[in-house]
Amino acid sequence: MKKSLKIYLLSFIVGILFLIVLYSLIMNKVKNPEVQNLPYYTFRTLLRITVTLLISLAFGLSFGILVSMSKKASMIITPTFNIMQSIPILGYFPAVLILFISFFPGRVIGLELASIFLLFTSMVWSIFFGVVGAIKSIPINIIDAAKAFNIKGLRFVTNVIIPAIIPALISGSILAWCDGWFFMIAAEYITYAGKIYSLPGLGSFLAKSVYVYSDTNLAIIILVLITAIVMFINHFTWHRLMDKVSSTGYMPLFKLGMFSLKEEKKLTKRRFQLHFKFRHKILPESKHKDYSLRQIIISVSIVALIFLIAIYTINKGILNLKTIKESILVPETFNLPVYTFFTLSRLTIAYLISLCLAILMGVLAAEHKKFATIFYPLYDIGQAVPILALFPILFVYLSQIFGGRMGLEITAIIMLVLDMIWYMFLNVVAAVKSIPEETREVSKIFGFKGMNRIRHIILPAILPALITGSLLSWGTGWNTIIFAEYMPHGKEPLSIPGLGSFLSKEGYEKGNTILLVFILFIISTIIILMEKFIWDKLLSKTKKYEIEA
Amino acid sequence: MALLEVKNITKSFISEGKKIFVLEDINFGVNKDEFLVLVGPSGCGKSTLLRIIGGLEKPDIGKVFFHGEPIIAPTFEITMIFQQFGLLPWKTVLENVELPMEIHRIEPKKRREIALRFIKDVDLEDFKNTYPYELSGGMKQRVGIARALALQPEILLMDEPFSSLDALTAESLRKEVLDIWTDKTNITDNFIMVTHSIDEAVYMADRIIVFSARPGKIIGDIQIDIPRPRYKYERCKKFFSLVDKIKKLITK
Repeated sequence: MKKSLKIYLLSFIVGILFLIVLYSLIMNKVKNPEVQNLPYYTFRTLLRITVTLLISLAFGLSFGILVSMSKKASMIITPTFNIMQSIPILGYFPAVLILFISFFPGRVIGLELASIFLLFTSMVWSIFFGVVGAIKSIPINIIDAAKAFNIKGLRFVTNVIIPAIIPALISGSILAWCDGWFFMIAAEYITYAGKIYSLPGLGSFLAKSVYVYSDTNLAIIILVLITAIVMFINHFTWHRLMDKVSSTGYMPLFKLGMFSLKEEKKLTKRRFQLHFKFRHKILPESKHKDYSLRQIIISVSIVALIFLIAIYTINKGILNLKTIKESILVPETFNLPVYTFFTLSRLTIAYLISLCLAILMGVLAAEHKKFATIFYPLYDIGQAVPILALFPILFVYLSQIFGGRMGLEITAIIMLVLDMIWYMFLNVVAAVKSIPEETREVSKIFGFKGMNRIRHIILPAILPALITGSLLSWGTGWNTIIFAEYMPHGKEPLSIPGLGSFLSKEGYEKGNTILLVFILFIISTIIILMEKFIWDKLLSKTKKYEIEA
Repeated sequence: MALLEVKNITKSFISEGKKIFVLEDINFGVNKDEFLVLVGPSGCGKSTLLRIIGGLEKPDIGKVFFHGEPIIAPTFEITMIFQQFGLLPWKTVLENVELPMEIHRIEPKKRREIALRFIKDVDLEDFKNTYPYELSGGMKQRVGIARALALQPEILLMDEPFSSLDALTAESLRKEVLDIWTDKTNITDNFIMVTHSIDEAVYMADRIIVFSARPGKIIGDIQIDIPRPRYKYERCKKFFSLVDKIKKLITK
């Protein structure tokens, strides 16, 4: 047996033992009526996410290949998926929930399906866009060679496409997996129209520990446990798979800071490169594409139709102008401009904070080994912590210090920063790393130092990646803000004025699906307009100066 | 005393845990006004040596002396042009040429004047406000030359300056570089070039230093006494016999 395989297996066993010790410690020390169910909850959550991942893989793979093989399909599917991808998932969750529950009245299966659907919509895009991009980047000479040897149809797919997109699939799966954990707490524990719906799982247990048992310590323990599980699985499955794809030998992978920082750093670096290549460049690129008016009209109508059918079903066929008017025109609707302003301000503040931090951390990590040893593991952990799960815990502490509203306000900003920062960090690191050696030498030979180097070399070089990162982090930020402006549990529901809390109150509390879709429409319009008129413009401006690697 | 003195240079890299020597005990001097060319098979460390002379890399052993002083970091007086041109894509031609002068605190009015002069010398006046991505390879390299010369260095280092250009462009640019070198109004009269093309070396050099395969050692130091301009003598026997001689040295 190879030495490295031995180390791998050894560290695998150590990892398992570590988790077992953690579990038995928690189950013996924590006094809580439900704590004995912890292994079962873990199993349910894992099963839920795994099933969803498999569905997403099947869906993303087949549609990805379809889109790449057929121009006609791509004409409609790509812009449609692009719009759907822009809609914040948590926004339409109440509608999905009520839809599935109405299909299976009184049974858990409806709830289970709703949560899988929510997770699916969060996971599938990473995979789909990764596949599309990877197929697009297959070198033209390989495709020509395949043509010359008459390799067509299914054989072309199995011999050329599949092997070429495996790194993208793995990279997409890691991101999807992390996205899945991110949304899990929202999917397992929901208040809808005054009723609590909860599914057995780690996410709901964490939520209950705060809302039902008021035991923040337990919540923190579960959060740490979830983070450990996510990291363990990341290291033993995904990263190892990625490693196998991109190099030959086995590598020991469960190596958090304490084991070997050097290896960890190397792997994180490679992961950065792959994530960057297969998602962080492709998604913005597909958004950047100019769609024809016809394509836009078709795709918008498809999405609108899906929502219409959903509303129609939820309202049991009663859908006319009068009900729509009554549902939308509640007194609060007239506050929409103010709400939009507040929410945008929160997002902007959080964005600016994470922008500065990400540039600072990213440049330091990419340029100095010492900082890399600190920031890479931090990124690993930061990516693995399900931020929505942090929400109740953070809020409990901050509301004790700052009082309810101010506490919620600060919690919201912190959550947004934690959520937005990693996209930009990843992009900055990858961009600094991809500055060609020659450009570095140019800066040395002509004596660029300190501020001059940052101003003339580093900042312009990372600008396109910063814009890409910004686009992605705003996308995820919108999801978080819907969750973060509204705290339905505790003694009384608490909210800070904004689009997110308005949507949550109308959607989750009052069950006003029509208004929910209306607000969602406004949010999506803002998102798409920002993409078109801010990020797109900036992207095309900087694109031509991008260094060809 | 020679203008530049390369003394006992040895350099190694660590690759996959193994130490690989690229240069071993290199010694030579560069005379004033000399057009020196370093040739050798790929991987022989000639580019590394150029980088050591430029102060971009540090040798394991030995030193390079410039006017009797050891080189420890890049200096004003020695600049470089690069194989892939090394232009900053986010700056126009004029800005690219001006930037190093800005770093060296030459006042705005003067640096504009110098930049325009050198841009004119390389025939890019009409393109001074364009970005590199709009230029052809040959034009990009001319910007690289203008940028390096604008600092008015004593020595210009060239790392395979023509190898990413097509044959015709490379040929005309070789002539241009030689014109610049012979132009006495220019302060820069010492050129050191790295190439793996023996024909190119014989065409341009006053003196050629030939390197062996890795680890690079000097296996030949040849004066080229073909009169200039060389395009008149490109087809003569002496030219070919020199090329053959070097080829033999390398392939031995």
